[in-house]
Amino acid sequence: MLKQRPFLIETLTAIGLIVAPFVLPHLGFAPNTVNRILVWGLFGLGFDILFGFTGLLSFGQSAFYGTGGFVAAYLLTRAGFGNVLGALIIGMIAAAATGYLIGLIALRRTGIYFAMITVAIAEVFFFVEFNPLSDFTGGENGLPGVPTPSFNLGFTTVHFTNGWSLYQFIALCYFIGVIIALRIVRSPVGAIFSAIRDNPLRATAVGHNIHGYKLTAFVIAAAYAGFAGGLLGVLQAFMPPDAFTFDTSGQLVMQTAIGGRGTLFGPLVGATVWLFLQDFLQSALGLGAAWKLVLGVVFVLLVCFLRGGIIGGLADLYRLLSGRRKRSDAEAEPDTETTLHLAPAPMQAKEVAHPAYSGPVLKATGLTKRYGGLVANSDIDFSVNQGELRGIIGPNGAGKSTFFKMLTCEIAPTSGQIVFEGRDITGLKVTEVCQLGLTKSYQVNQLFTGLTVRQNLTIAALAELRGKFRLDLFRKLSSVKGLTEQVEHTLALVNLTRRADTPVAELAYGEKRRLEIGLALATSPRLLLLDEPLAGMSPRERVETVKLLKSIARGRTMIIIDHDMDSLFELVERVTVLQEGKVLLDGTPEEIRTNAAVQEAYLGGVHGEIAA
Amino acid sequence: MISWPNLVSQLFNGLALGALLALISSGLTIIYGTLGVLNLAHGAMFMIGGYAGFVAYQYTESFILAVIAGSLFVMLLGVAMERVIIRHFYHRPHEDQLLVTFGLGICFVEIIRLIFSSQSQLVPPPAIFQGITNLGFMFYPTYRLAVVGIVAIALGALFIILYRTRLGMIVRAGIEDSVMVDSLGINVYRVFMVVFGIGAMAAGFAGIVNAPVVSLTPGIGDDILVQTFVVVVIGGVGSFPGAILGGLIAGEIISVTSMFNPGYAYVMLFAAMTLVLVVRPHGLLGVQGRE
Amino acid sequence: MTDHLIRRGLSRRGLLQTTAGLIGGSVLPAMPAFAEDKPAVGSYPAGVSGSTAFIGISVPRTGTYAVQGEDELKGYQLAIEHINSGHDLIKKISPKTSKGVLGKELKFGVADSAAKPNEAVQAQQRFISENKAIMITGGTSSAVAVALNKLAQREKVIFVCGISGSNDTTGKDCVRYGFRQNFFGQTAAAAIGPVMVKEFGKGKKAAYLTPDYTYGHTVTKSMQDFLATAGWTTVTNQVAPLGAPDYSSYLLNVANSGADMLINVNWGHDAVLSTQQAKQFGVLDKMKLVVPYQVPFIARETGGLMQGVYAATDYWWTLEDKFPLAKMFNEAFEKKYGYKPEWGAENAYVSFAHWARMCEQAGSFNPPDVIKAYEKGETLPSLVGDVHYRPEDHQCVRPVIIVKGKQQKDMKTKEDWYDVVEIVPGEGLMQKPDAFGCHPGDYS
Repeated sequence: MLKQRPFLIETLTAIGLIVAPFVLPHLGFAPNTVNRILVWGLFGLGFDILFGFTGLLSFGQSAFYGTGGFVAAYLLTRAGFGNVLGALIIGMIAAAATGYLIGLIALRRTGIYFAMITVAIAEVFFFVEFNPLSDFTGGENGLPGVPTPSFNLGFTTVHFTNGWSLYQFIALCYFIGVIIALRIVRSPVGAIFSAIRDNPLRATAVGHNIHGYKLTAFVIAAAYAGFAGGLLGVLQAFMPPDAFTFDTSGQLVMQTAIGGRGTLFGPLVGATVWLFLQDFLQSALGLGAAWKLVLGVVFVLLVCFLRGGIIGGLADLYRLLSGRRKRSDAEAEPDTETTLHLAPAPMQAKEVAHPAYSGPVLKATGLTKRYGGLVANSDIDFSVNQGELRGIIGPNGAGKSTFFKMLTCEIAPTSGQIVFEGRDITGLKVTEVCQLGLTKSYQVNQLFTGLTVRQNLTIAALAELRGKFRLDLFRKLSSVKGLTEQVEHTLALVNLTRRADTPVAELAYGEKRRLEIGLALATSPRLLLLDEPLAGMSPRERVETVKLLKSIARGRTMIIIDHDMDSLFELVERVTVLQEGKVLLDGTPEEIRTNAAVQEAYLGGVHGEIAA
Repeated sequence: MISWPNLVSQLFNGLALGALLALISSGLTIIYGTLGVLNLAHGAMFMIGGYAGFVAYQYTESFILAVIAGSLFVMLLGVAMERVIIRHFYHRPHEDQLLVTFGLGICFVEIIRLIFSSQSQLVPPPAIFQGITNLGFMFYPTYRLAVVGIVAIALGALFIILYRTRLGMIVRAGIEDSVMVDSLGINVYRVFMVVFGIGAMAAGFAGIVNAPVVSLTPGIGDDILVQTFVVVVIGGVGSFPGAILGGLIAGEIISVTSMFNPGYAYVMLFAAMTLVLVVRPHGLLGVQGRE
Repeated sequence: MTDHLIRRGLSRRGLLQTTAGLIGGSVLPAMPAFAEDKPAVGSYPAGVSGSTAFIGISVPRTGTYAVQGEDELKGYQLAIEHINSGHDLIKKISPKTSKGVLGKELKFGVADSAAKPNEAVQAQQRFISENKAIMITGGTSSAVAVALNKLAQREKVIFVCGISGSNDTTGKDCVRYGFRQNFFGQTAAAAIGPVMVKEFGKGKKAAYLTPDYTYGHTVTKSMQDFLATAGWTTVTNQVAPLGAPDYSSYLLNVANSGADMLINVNWGHDAVLSTQQAKQFGVLDKMKLVVPYQVPFIARETGGLMQGVYAATDYWWTLEDKFPLAKMFNEAFEKKYGYKPEWGAENAYVSFAHWARMCEQAGSFNPPDVIKAYEKGETLPSLVGDVHYRPEDHQCVRPVIIVKGKQQKDMKTKEDWYDVVEIVPGEGLMQKPDAFGCHPGDYS
């Protein structure tokens, strides 16, 4: 919704902001209310990038709102600083810097821990404002007397005083805020934000430094909060101490959820609903203090039944009405191409870091993993040569997946060493290893479920093209060199070109499995580990996938775990058999098939698998 | 006022405050540990406990009956909340769980405000605990002294439930490995419901016991909620001993800082939390299990 | 909480102005639509173009100061009712009043400020822009009063301050558009100080409980400064946030401080709770309590803990024996609300009556004219005798009443909580007009 037609949303926003003063008064909105809504909306733009796009629910935004607000207000009222816009920007920078420091602490943990820490932060900022810093913040008094902006244009001075006059200034700020936010969410960084929200584990595994990106989102949100806080002071000529309270954070969270998260405009809609209802319930219906209860109930119902909030609900409705037509169009299309699958030439694997290196691609020695008393892998020696296709089999519980996780550095071995292309990678992070050219497709699909097929592959390809961390916040996704080619190529390779713009949730299981492999492929690995790529597929899908695997194997080293031995033996050159966490045997498929020890292992383990 | 008598007084007062925090936090932490849901309405449970006790006291004039009735009420409320709403959120993202419990918390506070208005309500301490006790080194309100004992008994009861019963075994196993419990063929949903009820009751009980110490206002749970978060982060999410240790540490930090400058109490509390996060990200007694 | 909100969308004229403003991209051009010789100032003349004039009232109805806020609101409502009906009591204070102010009926809107400046400013901004409020009021927290001062000055709407005890309200944060009737930190200290020294002696050690905002800081400072002249020392000053849920840590510090006197500057429910807890921690058995800025209803709410305690106040109902206007007020108030008024209601009533008188004298609602009428500083009647407003800082010079909590056995009725010890005339209590750094700003 945020991606089609250049400048459509920008234009609509501009029109909306220009028309508002002529329309809203007739709906009973006073200019001050509108200004207040815009301040909340601006505050929410950053928060939505953090919560809606990156999936980090912070209850501590008031800390940055207050920081920016008080820095700006202090400069304007106590420090004799005359330039309102300058003060707002300094406040914004101060809030962003605070956000960076707080982010370093809060982002040490994720999920619920993160939420708890941010709640505590919001509360502590409030106390800090009151006590150690009360000389600067005025404590309970706040800072009265914040001036309104004026600009000397040489021939005349433009002064924004209050009401609709101030609206022009605030609306302009909001408009710029929207443009910047749109640039950010449409940038590569924005794409990675969504990846973190949908599946942080996979975002890490395809080679993104998600901690860095989370911190980025946190700082962006803090900057928006800081600027909005400054505007609040300008709007009311007074910087209230209440800006720091937890209630402010709570209200922002509720407004965003009511309006619709992940939409950028959700907070604005939420604030409109909030302030309108607050006014309406109190004055028109005479509900008095009960207004907040009504809003609370509305909020709970929305969270329960309409996850996307008001905007999400409207979007669903629109899709329902317009989508039906589109789908019938799509169904009318002849369905001939599915079977006619032309395997494109395999993508070039990443340039080899040391072209002179010619030893085994991967060499593990003495690899051991213990969980308490339980030994998952013990003393495994394992080596794979350049261009080899290796299979790994073993009964359930043989420690195959643990072995893979150690090779990709998802978990650290208890002892032993892993060398990739002559480089010791033991103890590195999964992100770094992926950047080196070693990645894995998962046994259980790890996709970015809220995104389309193309977006999924884009995220993986970005890791390879941009490295693990880069702050190209204002770059267009389409201007990343080589991205389109790489994504299109991978789409073709895994035969999902026709489904490129389908959301993952609507894919068939076999398609999801192919996408899972595609995610790993899109990072252009030189060594690809595949954990049960055929699991759960129908026989027909298996045949196709084996074909696919053969085609991608050209120019690349692969290690494959699977239970489907017929398919596996057809694919690979050598097979390693694991049993009870140890290497049982190593040999060609033919040797393995006829080996008595393997027969024994399987019959003693899970029966009948060898015949499957 | 830095002096030895004052230090001893504040340390003692910190114990009283810490015990209360420990009880509330253990409710929060066992719910989270077992269900994986962080109940942002936990502060509201504390508050409602106080009001339920207040109402029961109005009718019965008996403090003990008020405590019993209030605790049961909050437990039933917890069970109802789990059955009607929380249950549908186990398979939704954490953020949605946070949002819905946050919203419920607000609704509870506002309902109480609607019924009882914002004016504060007083629950007198039971007659036998009225007055002042001379501890030798300080004068201390007798009832506050009794609170320390009452809370210790409640924590002991929770300990027995958690460590000496089958339910407790399941709960503790669930905290360490939720997948395993699922595979034991236990009706987890029933366990979840009971645990939510017990956790809510811990907060509600604390709310009633605390009511005569402070005065009841609808917003009384909000501050407590934040403090329990700090306690839980310090002690380790999901750890019952962690909640007790964290509660006592938090109580002492608040009290001892108050001796120098009460305004810094929460700042120091936060500093302690930060320190723990840096040194031991999973809390002092936390397990790595849940995130 | 808006009892009486008159909704009016933006008028046609307003819309034209808006349009012009947007096109011009700058200041709204003043487009007087009325054939008046006076230029528009704030909500004047738009707010009084009809047959009514609107007053925006923000009082705390929730939170720590809710009890006092409700009492204050009753005073405002009674005053508006009396002004609109031309009641005898109003005529005694504002002789030119017949019905309404300058013939306009008064309407009003009420918003809950929760004693938070932000809430109050939001509400009043709405009253000013939507209802074209010609006067605003609010208080019961000096933080609110100071914030509204600044708002009034910016919006050019007269602010008649409600309860506010801070020296700053008519000191460093004073404004041209704000007026205060009631007593405050400086006058409270100067009035109660000598009584305390006389009663308790010189060279005492005092512990303070101070709420952490402008009211608390300035009242404590004034008390400390005055008592220092009698050799009193401060052994501890425990500063607590507004609405603290528990005072145990603070009171332990007080208990261990070796003080002889506990001076409790806390207000509203904070004062009630901290006093009750001081009793529980044995502090009141060791030290004498003084409440320098009396809190309405504290005697009733603390259940007898005010017995023998000295307090300074703006008004106590038993003054009716001395002042006939007080008797009229008490009767009217009790008839309507069923209890004796406390000083919040008295201040609310008198400050509105004074405002009505100033408008009548100015012959216009035009704010600069009304301000100048106040600034003449003429002698005005009040419920406690003659008073006047100082032109320099807009503070009313008025007596401070010293009361002492009665023992239960001496109480004649259940509302007979205090003895009036002394009525200290205002003149001798006031600081020099510029002593607290008042620079009131412009008329327009």
